[in-house]
Amino acid sequence: MKTIKASGIGKPIDRIEGRLKVTGMAKYATEFPVENKVYAQAVNSTIAKGEIVSIDTSEAEKAAGVLAVLTHKNAEKLKAFEEEMPELGTTTIAPVLQSNKVHYYGEYVGLVVAETFEQATYAAKLVKVKYKEETPDIHLDKSRAKAYKPTESSDFSRGDMDAGMAAADQTLEATYNTPIEHHHPMELHAVIASWNNGKVLAYTSQQMVDNSTIVISDTFQIPKKDVRVVAAFVGGGFGSKLNTDRHVILALMASKKLGKPVQLTVTRNQMFTNTGMRQHNEQNMRIGAKKDGTLTALSHETLSHTSTFQEYQEPCGNVSKMLYKVPNNLIKHRLIPLNFQTPCSMRAPGEATGSFALESAMDEMAWKLKMDPIDFRIKNDTQIDLSEERPFSSRLLIECLRIGAEKFGWKERKMEPRTNTNGNWLIGYGVSAASREAPYKKTSSKVIISLEEGKAIATIQMDATDIGTGSYTIIAQTASEYLGIPTEDVTVELGDSNYPVTPGSGGSWGAASYCNGARAACENAIAELKRKKNIPEGEEIALADLLKQNDLTKFEAEGTAEPSEEFEKYSVFSFGANFSEVWVDKDTGMSRIKRMVNVGSAGKILNPKTAYGQIIGGLTMGVGMALTEQTKIEPNFGNFITRSFADYHAPVNLDMANVEVIFLPEEDKIANKMGVKGIGELGITSVAASIANAIFNATGKRMRDLPITPEKLIMAKLEPGVES
Amino acid sequence: MRPFTYTGAKNKEQALQSYSPTSHYLGGGTNLLDLMKEDVERPDQLIEVASLDYKKIFQNDKGGLTIGGMLSNSETANHPEVRKNYPLLSMSMLSAATAQIRNMATNGGNLLQRTRCPYFFEASMPCNKREPGSGCGAIKGMNSLHAIFGYSDSCIAVHPSDMCVGLAALGATVEVQKPDGSTRIIAFDDFHRLPGSQPEKDTNLMPGELITAIHLERPEFSEHYYYLKIRERSSYAFALISVAAGLQLKGGEITKAGLAMGGVAHKPWKFKEVEKFLVGKKPDESIFEAAAELAMKDAKPFEGNTYKVEMGKKAIVRALSQAYARKS
Ligand SMILES: Cc1cc2nc3c(=O)[nH]c(=O)nc-3n(C[C@H](O)[C@H](O)[C@H](O)COP(=O)(O)OP(=O)(O)OC[C@H]3O[C@@H](n4cnc5c(N)ncnc54)[C@H](O)[C@@H]3O)c2cc1C
Ligand code: SF4
Repeated sequence: MKTIKASGIGKPIDRIEGRLKVTGMAKYATEFPVENKVYAQAVNSTIAKGEIVSIDTSEAEKAAGVLAVLTHKNAEKLKAFEEEMPELGTTTIAPVLQSNKVHYYGEYVGLVVAETFEQATYAAKLVKVKYKEETPDIHLDKSRAKAYKPTESSDFSRGDMDAGMAAADQTLEATYNTPIEHHHPMELHAVIASWNNGKVLAYTSQQMVDNSTIVISDTFQIPKKDVRVVAAFVGGGFGSKLNTDRHVILALMASKKLGKPVQLTVTRNQMFTNTGMRQHNEQNMRIGAKKDGTLTALSHETLSHTSTFQEYQEPCGNVSKMLYKVPNNLIKHRLIPLNFQTPCSMRAPGEATGSFALESAMDEMAWKLKMDPIDFRIKNDTQIDLSEERPFSSRLLIECLRIGAEKFGWKERKMEPRTNTNGNWLIGYGVSAASREAPYKKTSSKVIISLEEGKAIATIQMDATDIGTGSYTIIAQTASEYLGIPTEDVTVELGDSNYPVTPGSGGSWGAASYCNGARAACENAIAELKRKKNIPEGEEIALADLLKQNDLTKFEAEGTAEPSEEFEKYSVFSFGANFSEVWVDKDTGMSRIKRMVNVGSAGKILNPKTAYGQIIGGLTMGVGMALTEQTKIEPNFGNFITRSFADYHAPVNLDMANVEVIFLPEEDKIANKMGVKGIGELGITSVAASIANAIFNATGKRMRDLPITPEKLIMAKLEPGVES
Repeated sequence: MRPFTYTGAKNKEQALQSYSPTSHYLGGGTNLLDLMKEDVERPDQLIEVASLDYKKIFQNDKGGLTIGGMLSNSETANHPEVRKNYPLLSMSMLSAATAQIRNMATNGGNLLQRTRCPYFFEASMPCNKREPGSGCGAIKGMNSLHAIFGYSDSCIAVHPSDMCVGLAALGATVEVQKPDGSTRIIAFDDFHRLPGSQPEKDTNLMPGELITAIHLERPEFSEHYYYLKIRERSSYAFALISVAAGLQLKGGEITKAGLAMGGVAHKPWKFKEVEKFLVGKKPDESIFEAAAELAMKDAKPFEGNTYKVEMGKKAIVRALSQAYARKS
């Protein structure tokens, strides 16, 4: 029923919560008015491995305003990991201050609580810790012997890799490195935690509210129903807020002890060591191809590190299982436990890093074959996901490549490197394919419809989070569409565990899941109202009239959407292609991205404006990955020497290019009823390869270690000559 | 942050009298406050001097320009006189930090900003500059951002300022007020020092001395100048290497040259020998290359910063070529 379609889905409307944000009215975690709250500051270890021999808290305890100092000596016993090296998930418990062991530099070893933030910060410096230090394992390279296979699914093979390589006319083997990176959302991880007679209320910056309640209830062994988590607005997450981290548990421990709400903000510096990261990946690629470009073999072997107490494996190789038609395929993932925190998902885990290796290697092979890299990719396209032996619900990769090439002016590209120059600048064009799974998960929501002065208005509630992506807006647009009322008349309330359960934000499933959840509630409401009055399903009637006919001024309905059986029979992915023009200064080694064209096929675009924002954000993060971002390890002590935004170089406006973002119209009704697919992670996927490939085309040098900094380009010697 | 008292100095006298060895003058605070939050600087008193009346720019009696010590970096760099006659200074200053930081930062504070050596910032790491005698973490550690000239066994840090590289190429003097109320003039090259066995001392300033002015020489490089800054992102990043180059030309010959490099030493590194070498030469690529070789011949890099030697040479050639080609 579509009586009014003024602002339903598909319209590029402004964010409905935008005004709240720019006027400072949107409440982030520590902005909720909580009475009597006190402030905490964590104390961090200053060694990477060893034991705490003693902690002297006397001076801190005496400092002005200090209410409590927690250490492993006086902290309550929490539930411990049940097994050795448990896998990190989004509901994994987060025990903290449970022993005197130190596993990494910056690990929480204490918490100071005081009347004010300044007092707590100062007193935290007065806590004196003595350690028995051991030599930490901090070098991937030196610890290779400790590599292990995390799970059965870490490996995959199809056909016979060796036979495939033997059958090839051209072969390639190359290793690609991506460094430790940090998510660094704008909003720091933060919480106001209240423990009230066994009941918990936590205002916290999380991507997944329901999972947060699980972690808290599990860690403290209290009923889940007694835990309420609120994350109404979240200033970015990028994966770092998927897990409910130890600062939340610390604040709750303190609140429980003191009987007061405790506010704890993780500092920017602490965000390097305690709220997750992307680990260093070393990816070895082997490719075999026939002269005509037909792939005969592809292997993708990844070596990464996890912490010494928990396991996280980024599935870098997964992209090489499914992107191309290759009969012989081998994927391996190995982990080395090192003395760093447990890594976690960071925007497009697997694809962002994996596609850098795969799509660089594809470019290298195309060059060996003297084939256009787009033709090479098209030659090996597949409509079947060979890793699952099932069709893609929809796959427009070829179209993305062709349309992008057209818009970008790809035919102007010179295949031979170093042939396009302008003064000191070497100019190159690069391309890369992108793919990202478009999952869709069970989601419930509630709609409350009421009649106000003859007009129907609605409120949608669900525990979903808007982590800066535009969820509020697209949910309102969905309700507008399915209730037939203007978006302005829809209120959206999110991020409260009292609302119906959703999977939360992560994995690019938010838009599809949330909107289908909202749709289900709205459809149920309309159906129910019609049924009561025996109005045929197909009949068009305005919502206000429907309420009036029912003699109702208020009506509530819930709805749940979940993947169909049909969905399970397909592989559901978004696809894309990235084109970049990069200029490299042959003397200074500085690179400039001049322009980019990004084409995506990501199902129905609910709101072109917020979708554009997602892609631009992803591309910018991809530029950071390619050129500027890296967390550097101190080689003797194992701390990170990039410790603030002054030295962890996220890209600035000047680093970004003119970007054209194109979405191909795509109908994918298998993905879900609304045909919505994820775009949150599609944008970052493939950017790094596109840029590295452009740099090869510009300079003739293959840059296989990210980020591609001036130092590295200078060391690669930008003299004429092309690497084989 | 540790507790401290705050004195808003109303005039020079009050500032000087309030001084004690455990206090710090406060300019824009863009460096000092960060270091206090990091627990690196631990003053018990801050004496605010940024509002003192040393904010003018005027012609001095030597035909040069005098720049107030408390003027902001933005106001200095954008001042019409500076832009017209000392565009090299303007260019170096505008390459630094961000507009917001430059708005806050004062000229005096800029001269005294401390190294960005990551060991210096991390209170738990060994660092002779922060804690004399604790060792230098960088020498055998991560030294990709460190010195290739003039370092010692006790410290290999570099001075991070862009403005100071511009000043070194231009030639300048620094005017300071001594605690006894008298004035001292320090040649710019003598202002910052090499680490030697006392890396905790960045400059030759005596305790309590207050920077009130920078005097520039008669303008000589207002036509041919260039500030090249090589960095890891396009803005808001310290230099890996920077070069300030100024040339004076008459009848197709170089009559005077100013050349200094940033990111390579404990102080802005002025190439006096190269400046002399260039005089009397006809500017062309081969001369600039010879100048670059000469400049970098004594460079002694560490494991992590060998790139700086090659990068430095290329940067000198580029900066000199740009300076030559440029006509403002
Ligand atoms: C993130 C970031 C990026 C930056 N990037 C760059 C860059 O790329 N290039 C660059 O050159 N700089 C850069 N800066 C540094 C910036 O230029 C300096 O912080 C600034 O110039 C310091 O000036 P201030 O007035 O704020 O000094 P303050 O922080 O106030 O003081 C610095 C020191 O000088 C002393 N002091 C201040 N004024 C006087 C005076 N008049 N007499 C005697 N002593 C005094 C103080 O006691 C203190 O020890 C950056 C800074 C930040 C935070
Ligand atoms: S280089 Fe200097 S500043 Fe850096 S650690 Fe060594 S002594 Fe400290």
